[in-house]
Amino acid sequence: MNLDRYELQSGVELEVFEFVSEGPKGRIPKIVQYFPTNYKNLYHLGFGDKNQVTGEVDDTIVSNNNNSEKVLATVIATLYAFMDKHRHAEVYAAGSTDSRTRLYRIGISKYLDEALEDFEIFGELDDGWEPFRSDGEYKGFLVSRSEL
Amino acid sequence: MKPIEIDRRKKPIVKINKSLDFFNDKPLFPEKLEKANNMLRRIGLPKSKATNKQ
Repeated sequence: MNLDRYELQSGVELEVFEFVSEGPKGRIPKIVQYFPTNYKNLYHLGFGDKNQVTGEVDDTIVSNNNNSEKVLATVIATLYAFMDKHRHAEVYAAGSTDSRTRLYRIGISKYLDEALEDFEIFGELDDGWEPFRSDGEYKGFLVSRSEL
Repeated sequence: MKPIEIDRRKKPIVKINKSLDFFNDKPLFPEKLEKANNMLRRIGLPKSKATNKQ
């Protein structure tokens, strides 16, 4: 993805990433974690702000740092890095609120054509899944590598 | 079936910081993780996916 994004740091396993969002509200450390669910090879993507003093992570803060597109592009970049190392992994993600999940959906839609070259994407409905549609109303998303 | 190779140009440059591996086995978003597990138990995975429950 040739999008403007922040510099990434990660542990060796490429399961936890950090980057610093920069904008009118200052420099805000962000953290992305891919953590195993109860299903084999299925990981949950968590994303939030890291408190520089306490080290605690909060995924409910609205930073309003006027850079949501660049932040989203950076989170998508972590997905590429993670999925490249964990070849058989699938990833589930949902926003901490409905409006944030909607923001994710809009972000995915924007880069859908390019994303579908590499990934299969499903949208979570109340009682199941469907292949991702840009105009779908979803509660979450499931992403896996496309297969040959 | 094997995963397709991700285009090298799409992979980001990642600076390794080994201290971040400390969090690998510590869920930083436990409430959302639990919610995800509950959802998966309730509706399962997309039909075309073959992931098996552990």
